[in-house]
Amino acid sequence: MSEIKVNSIKGVGASAAAITVNNTDGTCTANITNNLSNRNKIINGGMTISQRATQETGLGASNKYSTLDRYRLEFNNTAGRLTMSQDTDSPDGFGNSLKLACTTADTSIAADEFFLLTQRIEGQNLQDFAKGTSSAKKFTVSFYVKGNASATYVFELYDQDNNRHVNKTFNVTSSWTRVTISYPADTTGAFGNDNQNSLSAYFWLHGGSNYTSGTLQQTWGTGTAANRAVGISSFFDSTARTLFITGLQLEVDNTGSGVATDFEHRSFGQELDLCRRYYYNLAFQNSSGTQSLFNGSGYDSSTIYHVCVLPTPMRAIPTIEQNTSGSYFQSYGNGGSNSYSTLIILNTASTSIVEIYNGGTHSRGGGVSHFTRLNSATTDGKFRLTAEL
Amino acid sequence: MTTYKLVKNPMSGEIKSVLKDLNTQNTLSIPFDEANTDYQEYLEWVAEGNTAEAAD
Repeated sequence: MSEIKVNSIKGVGASAAAITVNNTDGTCTANITNNLSNRNKIINGGMTISQRATQETGLGASNKYSTLDRYRLEFNNTAGRLTMSQDTDSPDGFGNSLKLACTTADTSIAADEFFLLTQRIEGQNLQDFAKGTSSAKKFTVSFYVKGNASATYVFELYDQDNNRHVNKTFNVTSSWTRVTISYPADTTGAFGNDNQNSLSAYFWLHGGSNYTSGTLQQTWGTGTAANRAVGISSFFDSTARTLFITGLQLEVDNTGSGVATDFEHRSFGQELDLCRRYYYNLAFQNSSGTQSLFNGSGYDSSTIYHVCVLPTPMRAIPTIEQNTSGSYFQSYGNGGSNSYSTLIILNTASTSIVEIYNGGTHSRGGGVSHFTRLNSATTDGKFRLTAEL
Repeated sequence: MTTYKLVKNPMSGEIKSVLKDLNTQNTLSIPFDEANTDYQEYLEWVAEGNTAEAAD
């Protein structure tokens, strides 16, 4: 049996050791860039989950979460409009991408205009960056990107707890390329250790002079509007403009090398669970047809109380999203049914179990058990819960 | 135009939730939870001098 005794193993052209061996205790440290788990702070980075819809058109007038889970679009004062969709155009090893397609151009850019694609991250999921301490770690962002033509955009990390940001440009071509961006550590301003929005990761895709007239903030500093999007192209410069993104990852740079690890592929079920902490699509009618919601019991002749146990605890007590423009809900009991338009959340709801009652009257009587579902006579009913950041 | 209507819990009589944009395709039933961003938005709307419709 042979044995190799070394202090470290280093690449021929590398400046740092890939493996450093402890000479006395038999352990080593390694700068591994693949097959590590639980390191991606981004949820749905592989663009696999789209509980709201797979496509939405006419976006641009107001901020909203659309199509792919966890991704929020933010606009200000732009006439530009776009379609957002979950697409199958993707690099090898991926099945999906997020696609943005400009449908109305905006080439007369007012000073206060912007268009951002963002994901907000809870502070309690960011503590390993050690931000605001002497042990602060660098940030590494990586993603695959493709456009219809060359363009330059900015990816910004914005510390919402301390009003600090750091910004770097990246280039897009008409082919899929993997972008890796290294951001410095920040020894100022700790992330809150709670369930609030501590870090916003922004793609800057369109901006007026209020955001482009300064010097790009390439080291952490106090939030300054003019330094946020210096040097970017405009996504709204032509209706030919498209942008595809997938494999988005934000990780702690534990090695300090600035090298991104391989994208952390999670299973569909794992990713769906992570998304349901923020949004839960219980029932949605694409066409007519019943869809079950939950059981309830008649409290009196007016009110049915229901209990809905959630598949995963949500970030906060959720809001109900529903269509109330008609009688979309129907409760059955005691040999008959009543339909009504509104379901209301009770203040006794929690992040794990939601208590709900009907906003209209029913005639089944108190003490009667019910089951409630979307009305079979309607075609666009929905019952969704949101606890987004 | 954004509209809000306060809602009374029939069991307790307490007002602890609010409906946003009632009778639309995207009505929100919002709990009074400080971590809920829809509730935070409602509080900002009230702070701007607006008043929600009273509960039935």
